[in-house]
Amino acid sequence: MSDKSTGLSKAREIYLNRSGRAKELKAEGKKIIGYPCVYVPLEMLTALELVPYQTCGDIKEPITEADRALPGSFCPVMRNCLDCALKGKNDFLDGMVAIHSCDPQEKTARVWESYTSYPYFHFIDMPITIRPEALEYFRSQLNDFGKTLEAFTGKKLSKDKFESAIKFHNQQRALVRELYELTKPSSPRISGKEITLVIKALTGLPVSEGNDLLTETINEVKNRTAGPEKKLARLLIWSGTLDDTDIMAVFEDKANVVMNESCGGIRAYRSSVKFTADPLEGLADYYLNEITCARTFRQATLGETRKDYAGDLQSRFGYLKGIVREWNINGVIMLLVRYCDPFAFEMPSLKDYFDSIGISSTYIEYDYTVGALAPLRTRVEAFLETINQ
Amino acid sequence: MYFAGVDIGSTMTKVVLIDKGGSLLSTIKGPTGPEHRQLANEVMRQALEEAGLQIYDISYVVATGYGRLNVPFADSQITELSCHARGVSSLFPNVRTAIDIGGQDAKCMKINNGKLAKFVMNDKCAAGTGRFLEVTAATLGVRLEDMGDVALKATKKIQIGNLCTVFAQQEVVALLSRGEKLENIIAGLHDALANRVATLARRLGIEPDLVLTGGVAKNSGMVKAMKDSLGCELLVPEEPLLTGALGAAILAKETYLKAAAKGEALPTKSRRLGKATFFS
Repeated sequence: MSDKSTGLSKAREIYLNRSGRAKELKAEGKKIIGYPCVYVPLEMLTALELVPYQTCGDIKEPITEADRALPGSFCPVMRNCLDCALKGKNDFLDGMVAIHSCDPQEKTARVWESYTSYPYFHFIDMPITIRPEALEYFRSQLNDFGKTLEAFTGKKLSKDKFESAIKFHNQQRALVRELYELTKPSSPRISGKEITLVIKALTGLPVSEGNDLLTETINEVKNRTAGPEKKLARLLIWSGTLDDTDIMAVFEDKANVVMNESCGGIRAYRSSVKFTADPLEGLADYYLNEITCARTFRQATLGETRKDYAGDLQSRFGYLKGIVREWNINGVIMLLVRYCDPFAFEMPSLKDYFDSIGISSTYIEYDYTVGALAPLRTRVEAFLETINQ
Repeated sequence: MYFAGVDIGSTMTKVVLIDKGGSLLSTIKGPTGPEHRQLANEVMRQALEEAGLQIYDISYVVATGYGRLNVPFADSQITELSCHARGVSSLFPNVRTAIDIGGQDAKCMKINNGKLAKFVMNDKCAAGTGRFLEVTAATLGVRLEDMGDVALKATKKIQIGNLCTVFAQQEVVALLSRGEKLENIIAGLHDALANRVATLARRLGIEPDLVLTGGVAKNSGMVKAMKDSLGCELLVPEEPLLTGALGAAILAKETYLKAAAKGEALPTKSRRLGKATFFS
């Protein structure tokens, strides 16, 4: 890795060689722990000086290995991630933490564990509702996770270490939010494609290095004269996964993506972990309550059996109204990854919600491969034509 | 003052030339094919010849369809969805919903005041497109252009359960070996395709007038199956293949005249009929 590059050029280097830095750190004696999904509480890894490394897929990689272990009609992101793992791309990992954020991840975790041989493997069970009992159960699951990490590292998870890790990760979240402030001007200072580079780079770096990268990038972008052109529309993309610059380029050919509400965008950074007397409580609350992924069941009043559709929509999607207003968005693309049931089930209701707040939206499906790009382009352009007449 | 619309679809390339008053001067259709993807210039040359025009007579060219980026002499590109919506509404001013079934995709469009308002398209798969009939026609040894007429002779309803083109082929072979009559199987295939497209259209909501376009609209059996599946009347243009290119030509005219009214000159491409080059 080049020592001279900073900010966006450094992010691009890491994006193109995501495991590069992790392998350097491994050579220095650090232990690297993989995770497939933003629901894994990275603070617990950081607190024990483990380096978190997100095991992403690669849309350019044809799936040839994963099909011996997973069905074909199955989440293409998970198939792709597992395929990369089975091809040995993550063999440098010292361990892996998977989580029941959705069923494909739970099933894939089982296969992943059987087909690989990292020294450490842990699966976190995660409830699907945000009831107090669910929160308490999730806290106990995180407690168990902590014990396995302590056994693996031989170190204690003290409150001080916890708080310091939470502070670093909260700082990262605040910096990502600051990065997204730069897309608010009518001519955004930074493109959706550049933000994708940076966020994907973060998930391959220790938190402190990620924070340095963010600070450098924010300063670079604030001080540069050239930025992305102002285009036909300001888009919000709502998706399960949009973490690839080639896909982002299809949207940004004729529009500015000013907000990516997916786990390749702001989703894991929209708010911060609260400091609580028992740090696990704050973590459980943040990961279960604050991350807005379709995998979690939300309703106006939990446990309420009367029908309150408008209230439920508000409870599930209300935060998106704020994004639409604050970022002055004039079109929303609901980008569904094929076979992603949790997001697919949200589509009709979310469409109703966007209609109710008077914002144009469209639904597009893609299968997380480069082959999807040409049909995707036609659908995106046609949508832009409908909002620019 | 003349305008051109060039529609490079997955199966057919279409060119429409119109004058300032919107009158049709010429219309040409040719197969897109693997090598013809580069040869929009050939189809354009034929259209110009038919109209007695030269390429430099054309004030503005809009390209549409999957190959829209590969037309070197096109001044701008507009998606086939907007072009179909515009073309259909010029032929049927009261249209509110249009369904286009092409060789590789199916699209349903809501049209408001002649413009595309909303749309849905099939996903990346041959189910619900012209390819479904093309592939099964080959399996049955029936010419594609005869499929519709054969379907209309059916005496019995057969359900084809598989919407997947590849699996439907296997199902057809099984039905043949069971001794089912060809016309009944073919009618079943038309119903399966129509149901698939109707489901797509219902997602958008159907309002009359409803128009069916695309190559598949030339198939009388398919028009009947669509009417039965949707339970409403369907209008079909005389030349259902040309609505995209027609819409592109009309949008070329409107874009050009709107700019001219403001005293603006639109940037145009060199008026030379060259082959499309890729990966440049």
